[in-house]
Amino acid sequence: MPMTNYNSNLGNPITYWHNRLIPLPVSVFPLLIKEQYNLVFRNYLLIFIVFVFSAKLTGQTKLTTEEANSLRTTVKQQAEATTTITSDFTQYKHLDFLSSDIESKGNLAYKAPDLVRWAYVEPFSYAIIFKNNTLYINDNGNKSNMDVQGNKIFTQLNQLITASIRGDLFEDDQFDIAYFKKDGNYLVYFIPKDAQFVEFIKAFHMTFSPAGEVMEVKMIEPSDDYTLIVFSGRKVNQALSDAHFSQ
Amino acid sequence: MRIFLSSLLALFLTGCASYPNKNGFQSVETLQETSLNPYFANDSTDYVYKANIEAFGKTFGGLFIVKKLGTNHHRTVFTTEIGNTLFDFTFQEDDFKINRILKEMDRKLLINILKKDFKTLLEESPQILQTFKHNDDIVYGAKIGSKKHYFYLDHAVLQKIIRTGGGKEKVAFLFSKIEKNYANKIQIVHNTIPLTITLSGI
Repeated sequence: MPMTNYNSNLGNPITYWHNRLIPLPVSVFPLLIKEQYNLVFRNYLLIFIVFVFSAKLTGQTKLTTEEANSLRTTVKQQAEATTTITSDFTQYKHLDFLSSDIESKGNLAYKAPDLVRWAYVEPFSYAIIFKNNTLYINDNGNKSNMDVQGNKIFTQLNQLITASIRGDLFEDDQFDIAYFKKDGNYLVYFIPKDAQFVEFIKAFHMTFSPAGEVMEVKMIEPSDDYTLIVFSGRKVNQALSDAHFSQ
Repeated sequence: MRIFLSSLLALFLTGCASYPNKNGFQSVETLQETSLNPYFANDSTDYVYKANIEAFGKTFGGLFIVKKLGTNHHRTVFTTEIGNTLFDFTFQEDDFKINRILKEMDRKLLINILKKDFKTLLEESPQILQTFKHNDDIVYGAKIGSKKHYFYLDHAVLQKIIRTGGGKEKVAFLFSKIEKNYANKIQIVHNTIPLTITLSGI
């Protein structure tokens, strides 16, 4: 998967402005009169300082091609060696107009190649299981199911959840991908290419530990409201029977 | 024959009778209450409900979120449990704005039902037209949109709202498990279409 150019709304500001502004004095300044030069130079300097500081504050830097390749390899090896995963999670739903995020907690189970159980236990009981192209729902004891074969959104949602747990979305040509380092971990931006999917999720950001395990997933909606899922207590390759994935 | 015609006439007149007459309401003097419905009236509260919708034989769920942003100004959002927004509406005075709706749900009929139901649910102080006594309840007749609504209060606590049409009960809004101006359970039951929305406070 080729790395995409940084999108001005989403990526590392330093690289973006560096690429755009560094050539400016060389190419344009000889054509400007002195006052204009001073004005442009001052603006240029101001923008540069602002972005140097904002970059320091966020502590986020873009990975080199070699570093990104290395991360992809680490995550892929990690995913290939994984047969089962169990983990707890805390979900924060952020809506700009609310006073605080809506917090819910739950757990998940994954069994290769594609069995997923995603369950909320607090403050409500709700579980979904993806199995054989069917979505099984247990909503506080009320059971239902939905055939999702041919439903593009649900198929992608299933892939997304599976890949979020395993972390191996890099080979997927449905996303533009950008790689960053942040606070000693890796942050990867996935931007869906499909217009119908973008209507649902504009982008999602995954944070990986240096060992290549998924720590957080942030799904960003077109309105910039988001859902942040933070994983904890992750256990891999423990025996999980298929009964674990029954409704 | 005369008895048959009399019965038919009686049946016809009963059928045409107003909702208060049919239910034996006693008209009393109207005292304008400052607020009839306090359940979404606190602007410092994030109202979050687990929603269960039964419609036309299908059941689905999600989270129903309401925030009061000012006087007669509310934002309502419905999301999946995982957090994806299905619709996002703003109600301000008589204006209604769709901030976002999933393409699959963007149907005029559905939007009109939701708009009317949420408008009733969020209306704090509708203009009272008549006041009645019914058993131990005080019932306020008010107009929301073009429809008559009856607010049932027991000891000044709102228990239900009934929307009527042609003198008949069309939609019931039932409030229960009430604690300090917060209804832990809300049910919106439609009598003319198979639609029930159950909201449980979380």
